Amino acid sequence: MDPIKFTLNGKEFVTAKGRTVIQAAADVGILIPYYCYHPKLSIAGNCRMCLVEIEKMPKLQIACNTLVTDGMSVLTGSPKVLTARKAVMEFLLVNHPLDCPICDQAGECWLQDYYMKHDLSASRFTEKKEHDRKREIFGPNVVFDGERCIKCTRCVRFLQEVTHTNELTVLHRGDHSTIALFPDTALDNPLSANVNDICPVGALTDRDFRFKVRVWYLNKTPSICPGCSTGCNISVETYQNRIARFKPRINEAVNSHWLCDEGRYCFHELTAGPRLRTPMIRQEGGLVPTAWEQALREVVNGLSGAPAPLAAVLSGRNTNEEAYLFRKLIEAIPAQASLEVFYQERPLTEVQKILMSPDRSPNFRGARDMGVSSNIGFDSLMDRLLSGSFASAYVVGEDLIGSSDEPEKTREALAKLAFFIVQDVRLSETAKLAHIVLPATHFGEKDGTYTNRKGRLQKLNAALIAPEEALHDSEIFARLLDQLGKPVSLAPGEIFAAIADEIPAYNGLSYAAIGDQGVEVGGGAGHS
Amino acid sequence: MEKVLLRNIDVADSHTLAVYQSRGGYRAWEKVLRTMTPAKLIEEVKESGLRGRGGAGFPTGMKWSFVPKDNPKPKYLICNADESEPGTFKDRLIIERDPHAIIEGTLIAAYAIQSHTAFIYIRGEFAFGAAMLERAVAEATEAGYIGENILGSGYDLDLIVHRGAGAYICGEETALLSSLEGSRGWPKLKPPFPATHGLFGCPTVVNNVETLAALPWIIDRGAAAYAAMGTEKSKGTKLFSVSGHIAKPGVYEVEMGYPFKKFLEADCGGVPHGRKLKGVIPGGASMPVLRADEIEKVNLDYESVQAAGSLLGSGGVIVMDESTCMVRAAWNIARFFAHESCGQCSPCREGCHWMEKVFHRIEQGRGEAGDLDLILNVSGNIMGNTICPFGDAAAMPAAAFIKKYGDEFEEHIRRKKCTVGDGASVSSSEFLVSS
Amino acid sequence: MALEFSSETYKKFEETVGRYPKKEAAMLPVLYLAQQEFGYLGPEAIAYVAQLMGQSPARVHGIVSFYTMLTMKPIGRYHIQVCRTLPCALKGSEKITSFIGKNLGIDVGQTSVNGRFTLSEVECLASCGTAPMMQINDDYYEDLTEEKVAAILESLK
Repeated sequence: MDPIKFTLNGKEFVTAKGRTVIQAAADVGILIPYYCYHPKLSIAGNCRMCLVEIEKMPKLQIACNTLVTDGMSVLTGSPKVLTARKAVMEFLLVNHPLDCPICDQAGECWLQDYYMKHDLSASRFTEKKEHDRKREIFGPNVVFDGERCIKCTRCVRFLQEVTHTNELTVLHRGDHSTIALFPDTALDNPLSANVNDICPVGALTDRDFRFKVRVWYLNKTPSICPGCSTGCNISVETYQNRIARFKPRINEAVNSHWLCDEGRYCFHELTAGPRLRTPMIRQEGGLVPTAWEQALREVVNGLSGAPAPLAAVLSGRNTNEEAYLFRKLIEAIPAQASLEVFYQERPLTEVQKILMSPDRSPNFRGARDMGVSSNIGFDSLMDRLLSGSFASAYVVGEDLIGSSDEPEKTREALAKLAFFIVQDVRLSETAKLAHIVLPATHFGEKDGTYTNRKGRLQKLNAALIAPEEALHDSEIFARLLDQLGKPVSLAPGEIFAAIADEIPAYNGLSYAAIGDQGVEVGGGAGHS
Repeated sequence: MEKVLLRNIDVADSHTLAVYQSRGGYRAWEKVLRTMTPAKLIEEVKESGLRGRGGAGFPTGMKWSFVPKDNPKPKYLICNADESEPGTFKDRLIIERDPHAIIEGTLIAAYAIQSHTAFIYIRGEFAFGAAMLERAVAEATEAGYIGENILGSGYDLDLIVHRGAGAYICGEETALLSSLEGSRGWPKLKPPFPATHGLFGCPTVVNNVETLAALPWIIDRGAAAYAAMGTEKSKGTKLFSVSGHIAKPGVYEVEMGYPFKKFLEADCGGVPHGRKLKGVIPGGASMPVLRADEIEKVNLDYESVQAAGSLLGSGGVIVMDESTCMVRAAWNIARFFAHESCGQCSPCREGCHWMEKVFHRIEQGRGEAGDLDLILNVSGNIMGNTICPFGDAAAMPAAAFIKKYGDEFEEHIRRKKCTVGDGASVSSSEFLVSS
Repeated sequence: MALEFSSETYKKFEETVGRYPKKEAAMLPVLYLAQQEFGYLGPEAIAYVAQLMGQSPARVHGIVSFYTMLTMKPIGRYHIQVCRTLPCALKGSEKITSFIGKNLGIDVGQTSVNGRFTLSEVECLASCGTAPMMQINDDYYEDLTEEKVAAILESLK
């Protein structure tokens, strides 16, 4: 395709045919302000914030709906443009309550941001403001403030064009226009909370995050959603060493701009409850705290002489690096062992399928790539466990009882094991039956990699500091391997180098090159 | 001058097929079908110099020629009968009295762009007009002028009368398309333009009632006969709806270029009750008002009215005599646009209501120094920055009233009350006198 | 009980939809049918039309709320709509409106206690040459004077 030459603020650039002014300008680092434009939604052109001056055109044009043509000359900061932009800001604030001090959007509000940048003058509007509905609950995750709404219709378009669920509409006209649900319905589709993300102002806010913390206090860590094997890219946003929220991070190869509600809020369940802080060993009368040295020695002793056969279950939330070490560990012990990654499926609706995978094991594929599989499958391993075919078990990061359809049967089977290790972050029902309990860390506390369902290798980054006494799973495995006389390196990068060396599909990949967007592993499309 | 548009309306039963035919009706349609290719028809209309009568005055033949001939999608011709511009009631007259002229014109235009489905989008409030059109369509269908293989020509055309439901904005062609697509009447972004991406994304032409009603005459009598009337750039005749403080209100057909003052005084009987003319809006409420002294040398054609600082628009002539409070008149129009703003884009949604509120405050005697500059500035910020021409339509009259009658506005603000009328009416005594 | 068209109206609905190149284009005529049948377009009527037209009720609600002739609330048997726009106002429509209000004992936007009259002010109805004017249901009444209005109201009481 022929490149298109155009001039932006006097400098010549080249773009491709079909790029709009707003896109072509962004490509060269010039951000034209906008509200209604969203790269994944149809062009509405209603906010008028992106008006720019184009040579030979008498009127200003909206950059979002103007294709760059050969020889076009665009001005994004001319006096005419700045006047129009300031005017649009003033119009948008005419009926706005200016309640920033109590608005949850403050700090990430585009009205605030652009006001600081493009307006900074007192409103000349001294009439009575139009009132609209306040604090209307739209759904389990979304609350609406009509007075803060700028009618950009991003939410309406998202529900029309992405989820096709059409819950919201614009009612009335003129300055009585308002966003609304149909009476007695709710905005409760599985992707509903994305409207909070795309709302550029404080009109739609997240009920879960509401009033928790001012956004400027948040620490943001790029990571991967632990909710399922889609591997949506997220920003883990924390305050005082707790997760305050997940936000989607753009990755066109995975989740585009979106995140499902289940994934978005899964951190609550995954981080709830009191943490295990010390290793424990079963003695008469129950589990009692012990020192790591003691616990690990008991594990090595137990595994070395473990009553065969051993069932080894790794969580689908464990990283590739942990999976690799876990497989090495199981290989290093003499007992006959079956190992599998925890995996359960549930049926999905059409809307859920837009993003969600049927499992809740984000690194299922990666762990299997690392060799955590005896090729019998998790279901089959569980069947054998329930039927008493295993004499010992090592379960990492999963509550087999809590996740079972037959919890009592599972409990009975686990209680019969001669040797049972549970490595987890909480004292789950399963852990309560263990002979040795090892306190580990969860997805939010560790670095490493996940490989999603489609074979994309992505980086998990530690967003929280783990409890002092807990050890990362990788460190536990490494210490055990060390005691078994097979020392390994501990740094994720170095473990990954070993993986890249050993696992064919990962040959040639490097930890540093994964970056924020991930890379495809070899071996073609995913299996499930 | 020979009447083109009002040629039938005073004849008894002019709305019937029989009377229409007896006066040469559907002769042009037969001529088109039997002797003209679409290209020749477009050429003929281009030569006539006919310009769109909806308000913008765009050459009709050229508008048709933008429809791509090789596009495999269906093409649509839409007659815009959503007459809603305040001060304009000419289309309603033709709809009620000469519906067949509109139908014949619609058929001719549809043929020009080779459309096989045409619509007449009529404003919902015109229940009687819609019934008249429905009846006429049924008659014309019965007579074989509409339907399949029309008059043995092999050309098929279906014509649907579609009622709007109360929204001024639907007279704007892209809003009309949204409405006809079964949506809120929100104007669409241009580009793309309706000629290539109109109704349901198909090539579409929207023509005003008056434009289409002129076609049978133009085809029947030839482009040259039409072009012989009017001025160099504004050809033919045009309808003017005359209302307000005028002795003989009504719809007039005038040859383009006719002197405005002579028209008001001689043809329309001038301002009654011996009062003086204070101002006149020449083209419907969205056009800038002209002071009495400004119309002295104006002629009724696109160029002359524009040179005087207004626009011919829809030809809705609203006459205001000296009893008119221009503040309340301006507020009335601002209120109209605030009520009718579709609310889609920010400058119009917020700006129209803002202007209305300030005008209202001034009218109520709570005006402040700086209010007039504020309205001028706000109207300037709306102007040219909106999705559709509605923004300009709201901004232009607001600014014009203030610029033309600044003294009266300032007096109103200073004395905190109306200095012209009773403060409760736009015109204080007209009602009592005229009754 | 959920609302439903009579079989006669349902037939009209099918005919109406059949007239249009796409089903959604029939939205306004179908809403007119529903308004005629149910009196006004409340949530049940909107949900019913949405289902008939294969669209979300929210979308249909948005459409209904856009157009002034579609009403979401019950109105009087006679809907009096007085034009308030400039050409009519120049000819005294403001006085006509207050006269009607006094005559019926209601304000603009209200319905008389007996449910017979609803008084509205509307924008230009394209009858400016015969101002002031009002529309009662489908009919135009033009060149109004207080005497004329009084007689018209009397005939409808």
